[in-house]
Amino acid sequence: MATTSSTPAPKINRIGLSVMEYKGGKTTLCAGCGHNAISERIIDAMYEMGVQPERVAKLSGIGCSSKSPAYFMSRSHSFNSVHGRMPSLATGAMLANRNLLTLGVSGDGDSASIGIGQFVHLMRRNLPMVYIIEDNGVYGLTKGQFSATADVGSKLKTGVVNDLPPIDTCSLAIELGATFVGRSFSGDKRQLHSMLKAAIAHRGTVMLDVISPCVTFNDHEGSTKSYKYMKDHEEPLQDINFVPYFEEIDVEYDAGTTVEVTMHDGSRLRLRKIEESYDATNRIGAIQRLLEAHDKQEVLTGVLYVNSTAPTFIDLLNITEEPLATLPESVTRPSREVLEQCMEELR
Amino acid sequence: MKQTFTIGIGGAAGQGVATPGDIFAKIFSRRGLHLNAYNAYQSIIRGGHTFLTIRTGPERVSNMGDRVDLLIPLNQDAMNRHLGLLTDGAACIYNADTITPGVPAKGALLCPLPVSKLADISRNKVAQNTLAVGAGLSMMGIGFQSLEEVLTEQFKKKGDAVVSENVGIARAGYDYATAHFEPFPWPLPMTNNRYAVLSGNIAMAMGGAAAGVKFYCAYPMSPSTGVLHWMAAHARKAGIMVRQVEDEIGVVNMAIGAAHAGVRSMCATSGGGFALMTEGLGLSAMMETPVVVIDCQRAGPSTGVPTKTEQGDLWQILGAAFGDYPRVIAAPLDIGDCFKIIPEIFNIADRFQCPGIVLCDLLLSEGRLSVDPKDLDFAPVVDRGELITSVPSTSGSSGDGVYKRYKITESGISPRAVPGVPGYAHTAASDEHDEDGVLISDEFTNPTKRRNMMEKRMRKVTGIEAAVPPPVLSGSRDADITLIGWGSTKGVIEEACEILTEQGIPANHLQIRWLVPLHGDAILNILKDTRHTIIVENNYSGQFARYLRSETSYVPNGYIRKYDGEPFMPHHIVEAVKEQLGGKSRLSVPAHEILV
Ligand SMILES: Cc1ncc(C[n+]2csc(CCOP(=O)(O)OP(=O)(O)O)c2C)c(N)n1
Ligand code: SF4
Ligand SMILES: [Mg+2]
Repeated sequence: MATTSSTPAPKINRIGLSVMEYKGGKTTLCAGCGHNAISERIIDAMYEMGVQPERVAKLSGIGCSSKSPAYFMSRSHSFNSVHGRMPSLATGAMLANRNLLTLGVSGDGDSASIGIGQFVHLMRRNLPMVYIIEDNGVYGLTKGQFSATADVGSKLKTGVVNDLPPIDTCSLAIELGATFVGRSFSGDKRQLHSMLKAAIAHRGTVMLDVISPCVTFNDHEGSTKSYKYMKDHEEPLQDINFVPYFEEIDVEYDAGTTVEVTMHDGSRLRLRKIEESYDATNRIGAIQRLLEAHDKQEVLTGVLYVNSTAPTFIDLLNITEEPLATLPESVTRPSREVLEQCMEELR
Repeated sequence: MKQTFTIGIGGAAGQGVATPGDIFAKIFSRRGLHLNAYNAYQSIIRGGHTFLTIRTGPERVSNMGDRVDLLIPLNQDAMNRHLGLLTDGAACIYNADTITPGVPAKGALLCPLPVSKLADISRNKVAQNTLAVGAGLSMMGIGFQSLEEVLTEQFKKKGDAVVSENVGIARAGYDYATAHFEPFPWPLPMTNNRYAVLSGNIAMAMGGAAAGVKFYCAYPMSPSTGVLHWMAAHARKAGIMVRQVEDEIGVVNMAIGAAHAGVRSMCATSGGGFALMTEGLGLSAMMETPVVVIDCQRAGPSTGVPTKTEQGDLWQILGAAFGDYPRVIAAPLDIGDCFKIIPEIFNIADRFQCPGIVLCDLLLSEGRLSVDPKDLDFAPVVDRGELITSVPSTSGSSGDGVYKRYKITESGISPRAVPGVPGYAHTAASDEHDEDGVLISDEFTNPTKRRNMMEKRMRKVTGIEAAVPPPVLSGSRDADITLIGWGSTKGVIEEACEILTEQGIPANHLQIRWLVPLHGDAILNILKDTRHTIIVENNYSGQFARYLRSETSYVPNGYIRKYDGEPFMPHHIVEAVKEQLGGKSRLSVPAHEILV
C-alpha cells in the first residue's frame, strides 16, 4: 500500500537522469552575473535534451565567462585552454574524437579581442560544436576594461568612453560560414532556453552571442550591455519554439506567421515571426538587418541565421566513423610496407 | 683522407639548378654511392643566385666537404663567383656561347661546350643543363646507360618524343666530352648498396609516421615546410590527419587539442613560428598533454635570413613558455637521425606527459643525404605511457569518483584518461589545479596544493633523465684536441677530427643530441680527461657554450663559431683548431669562401 509521506520520485529525463546529474560546482562568479544565468540554461537544456553528460566536452578560454564550465555538468569532460585559443583546441580535439559533443564557452574578450583570429577561422570550418560568447562588453576578470564588442559611445564607470565601433560576432559568424547563429540575452530565460536546445540538435557550428551583463563593471547608466539597456533595446525577431525529435508534435502552426526548420536529427525549430519580414534562412538579409540594427541602436535577438543542411567540417574531411583517438594502432600506423614504398620513391 | 667527388652547380633561381642536381643525385645513389647535397639559395622565386653542392663517394659523406671537383656554372654570375674555388684536378663545364670564362687556377681545367652546335636551343631551353650533365658523367667515367634511365623516368609522362629529345641532347654532351675533355683521374666507383636520398624534413615526417602520428598540422615557414609537404602528400597513404592552420598559435593549440583527445600529434615550424607557439607549449606542460614540436632553425632574429642555416634558437627553446615544467629537447645529429629521433622523443613525451621539442636546422631540414633504409626502423617501439582510452575490462568499475587525473605519485606520472571514457571525466586546465583537476587559481588558491602539484610535475624530470642516455665521446680517448658540438654539426666535426688526426693532431669529439636533459655530470666526467677543448657551433654568442657553463660551470679552452648563414666546412674547423693551438686566439670565426 502506498504511503502518503514519501517524497515524490525526482523527475528524470529520457535517459533516466535527474536534473541534478547536470549540475556543476558552486559558482564563484559575482551574484547577479549574467554568466550564471547562462549556466543554468545550459543545465536545463542538456537535461531536457537527454544528453549523456560523459559525451560532452566543455571547452573554454580564459575569463569569468570561461570559468563557468566548472559550474555546470560536473560529469562532463572539461578543458580550459589559454586566453583566446579554445577554437583551435576544440578543432584538434574534434578531429581526433568526432564523437564528442563539444560545447565551447567564451567571453567577448576571449573571442573578439585576443582570440578573433582563431574565432574567424573556427567559423569558416563549420565544425560541429556549440560556441557561446557570454558577451558583457568588458573584460570582467581583469576588472572591467572595454572589449572589442563594446558599442561606440558606451561609457565605463570611470567615465572612459569607448571610441571604436564594436565587432559584431554574429554577422562575422554568418558571413564566414557558421550554420546556426543567434543572439540572446541571459535575462531572456525562455528564448535562451529554446535556442540552446535547438543548438544542441544542430549539426555544424552554432554561434550564440548571449548578452550577459557584468554587474560589477558594466551594468550602470551609459553601458549598452546592462540589464536596463537590454530591457529597453532588445528587439526579439521571433518567438522560438523547439520540438525535439523524441517528442510528439501536437500543435499545428500557421505557415503564414511561422517558419519551421527541420534539423538534422528530425527535431523541429519553429520560429513564429515577430518581425514579419525577417527570414532566418537568408544569409544576406540577416547581415543587412544586423547592420541596420546597429544604426538604430537595437539589439536584435533570436535565431539570426540557420542552415540545417550544409556539410560540416567532419563531413568535408570524410573522417572515419570511429574516432581517430580510439582506432587501434594497427589501423592508423602505416605498415612497414607503406613506409618502404615511400622510401622507394626516394631511391 | 676519404675519396669523395663534389659537383657544384650555380645559377639563378628559375634556371633549373635543381634538375641536374636531382639527376646526379639519383645516378650516384643508384651506383651505391653515398652523397650529401646542400643548396645555398635565397628567398626568391626567380633570379638571385643558387649554388648546389653534391658530394659523393663510396664511404659515408656527412657534409659538403672542402673542395669542388666539377663546377657547372649556368650563367656568367656563377662563373665569376665560383671559378676561384677550383684547384688542381678540378674542371669547369660551361656554355661557351653565353659565358666568358675567367682564369682558372693552375691544374684546373676549362671545358667549354659549344651548346648551340650540339643542341637546338630554340626548342629546348635547358639544353645547356642537359649537355653539361652528359659531359660531366662522361668525365666521371660513368656509363651513359644510367643517365638514359633517369631521363626516361623523368620525361616518361611527357611522351616518347620528349624522352628521345632529352636523351639525344645528353648523349651529344656525353660524346662531346669523351672526345674533347680529359676525364677525371678518379672514375667514380660502384657498390652493391642501394640508398635512398632523404632530406631531414622528409626524414622527420616519415619518423612521425613510423611513430604513429595521427595528427599533423602546420603553418608554412621555411625551412620546416618540407615536413608539411610530405605529410600532405602522404596523408592518405599513411593514415594521418593533416591540416594547414591559420597561424602557429592555432597550430600548437590544435595539435594539443588532438593530443588531448588521445592521438599522437606533431607540428613543425621555424624560430618565428615557434615564438608564437610558446604560450601553447606551457599549456601542454600544465595540462600534461604530450605534443611534439619541431623547430627547424634558420638565421634570426626576426624574419632573418629565411634560407640560411643557424643554431641560434637554443635559448629561445630553453626559455620557451614561462614557469618551470618538465620537457625534453633533442637535436638530431644528421638526416638519418631526423627519422630516428621522432619515435624516441614521442615515447618520452608520452610516458612523461610533457612537451617534446626537436631542434633541427636548415642544414638538415633541407640538406639531403643518402640513407640506407635498412638502418631505419619502420616499426619502432611505441610506448604511449599510462594512457586510459577505455574503461579497463578488468576493473569492473567505471572508475566513478575515484579517478584523479593529476594524482600525486612517486614518479610524478598520473595515468592519463582521454575525454569520453565513462567514469574518467575530468577537468584539464591551464590554471593550476588540484589532483582531481579542480582549479586552485583563484578563490581556492592553496599554497600547499600548489607546491604539491609543482613537485609532482617536476618529479618527472628524474624519470626523463633516466630514460635518456648520456652522450658519449667518439674517437680515441687519448687526443690533443676535443671538439664539442651539438645537433647538425656532427658530420663536419667528425671529418675535421679525421683530418686533424691525419695531420698529426689527434682529435676526438663529443656531440650532444639530448639538450634537455643534458646529463651534465656525464659530460664533466668525459671532459675531465681532455687536454684542449673547443666548442663548435653555428651561432654568434656560443649559445651551447653558455648553456653548458650554466649547467656545469664548465669552460672550454676555445670556441669556433659561424653565423654567416652558411654551414661549416671541415677546413674551417681544422684551420681554426690550428690557430687556437698556436695560441693565437680563443675564438675563431671562419669566413665562408663560397660567395652565395
Ligand atoms: C595572453 C593573456 N593576456 C591577458 C590575460 C589576462 N586576461 C584574463 S581574462 C581577460 C579578459 C577576459 O574577458 P572576457 O573574455 O570578455 O571574459 P569576461 O571576464 O568578461 O567574462 C584577460 C585580458 C591572459 N590570461 N592571457
Ligand atoms: S566581474 Fe563581471 S563578468 Fe566577472 S563574475 Fe563579476 S559580474 Fe561576472
Ligand atoms: Mg567579457
